[in-house]
Amino acid sequence: MSELNGNSVLRLAPGCRFTAQENQENMLLIPEGALRLKGPARAIFELCNGERPLDEVIDELRRRYPPEQAPRIESETLAFVAQMRDRGILEVV
Amino acid sequence: MNYPLQALIAEITHRCPLHCVYCSNPLVMQRRAGELSTAEWSSIFGQAAGLGALQLHLTGGEPLARADLTELVRAGRSARLYVNLISSGVGLDERRLDGLIEAGLDHIQLSFQDTEEGPANEFAGARSHALKLRVAGMIRQRRIAFTVNLVVHRRNLSRIEEVIAFAEGSGAQRVEIAHVQYYGWAFRNREALLPTREQVQRSIEVVEAARERLKGRLHIDFVLPDYYAKYPKPCMNGWAHQQILIDPAGRVLPCHAAPIIPDLEFHSARERPLRWIWEDSAAFNRFRDEAWMPEPCRTCDRRSRDFGGCRCQAFLLTGSASATDPVCMLAPAHPLVEDILQRVNTGPDSARQNWVYRVDPN
Repeated sequence: MSELNGNSVLRLAPGCRFTAQENQENMLLIPEGALRLKGPARAIFELCNGERPLDEVIDELRRRYPPEQAPRIESETLAFVAQMRDRGILEVV
Repeated sequence: MNYPLQALIAEITHRCPLHCVYCSNPLVMQRRAGELSTAEWSSIFGQAAGLGALQLHLTGGEPLARADLTELVRAGRSARLYVNLISSGVGLDERRLDGLIEAGLDHIQLSFQDTEEGPANEFAGARSHALKLRVAGMIRQRRIAFTVNLVVHRRNLSRIEEVIAFAEGSGAQRVEIAHVQYYGWAFRNREALLPTREQVQRSIEVVEAARERLKGRLHIDFVLPDYYAKYPKPCMNGWAHQQILIDPAGRVLPCHAAPIIPDLEFHSARERPLRWIWEDSAAFNRFRDEAWMPEPCRTCDRRSRDFGGCRCQAFLLTGSASATDPVCMLAPAHPLVEDILQRVNTGPDSARQNWVYRVDPN
């Protein structure tokens, strides 16, 4: 697999979507299962919309979270996105 | 305790063009004349969603044997469920596939019985392999989540590398390499299907290496044969804990095999609300919580992880559904499993099988 970088553009893979059920907004449905999303996970999936490169995803997250968290945001987002890509939940466009 | 429903497994028909020797359907199947209607299933999907279910698994038999499958997919999506189709592919053409996707199908799981035509058709009891290859081609041309399911056992486990290579070439994003589970028709063919210890050990190593190599390209789910495990599987994640299975005639069950357990009364979704069956019926509450547990489960540290294993397997092997699952090394009845494995691992390996094939209801 190629390495992800700031120019990589990702989106949810086929078969991966948020549930439409009420009170279950933090559940991501995937083939053969469901993930309970914590912290910024839902925001990351929403920002990876197939158009926005990872650099812009990270910039947007920095705007949403307190400045003292900024140093962690880039490395943690890249690690999370890579993990989701490896599990077939995000795909590179 | 409170048990939120997560998934509904809808066995919409028992009719099937295949006759697989390890089919998990019951030995006594429902006929076409007794099958629930489109409207009855739609009502059930809504009731399941109302109980909190997120996922709908449409299975069979062969779901494509129902002419209203596209309508059922649409009804599942209307009930806000994630709709998964579990199919042999027999009966699928391009037009029907496009219709299913348009209706909102989220995911297809396509079964193969082997990587090679000869054995595949032998295990399926039907000439279906070549057709399935064409169906896989149709699916991978479209933007829909695709999993290949391949059942492994004594006759093909030594070719696990081929199974993985086959899955890589299928275009699927996921492969489920599933050891036979010994219920239904598989229980009848158990001694011919059980792999040897050496086969199992080697397959684990091959799959681990393949997982590392294929990371990000192909996800491998590997289901081990619980007869070789130290501890039992948390069957269905616990009896009536998360899932409901409804058979073609509307009988509501905690799992595929539950009707084999005597003295449990299972109700029909035609006669009772799903909520009453899930929350209040005696059969669904029979093995919830821990009061039913025998020793050694009752005081075991693992009881909240594996729930004492599988109730149906306990019944099949010991005659008591409330016994500790005999595959557990701590179970009083574990010698029963050791005896079978002793025979499998030392007995003659005859190449010719007298398979008991699944029959088709009409």
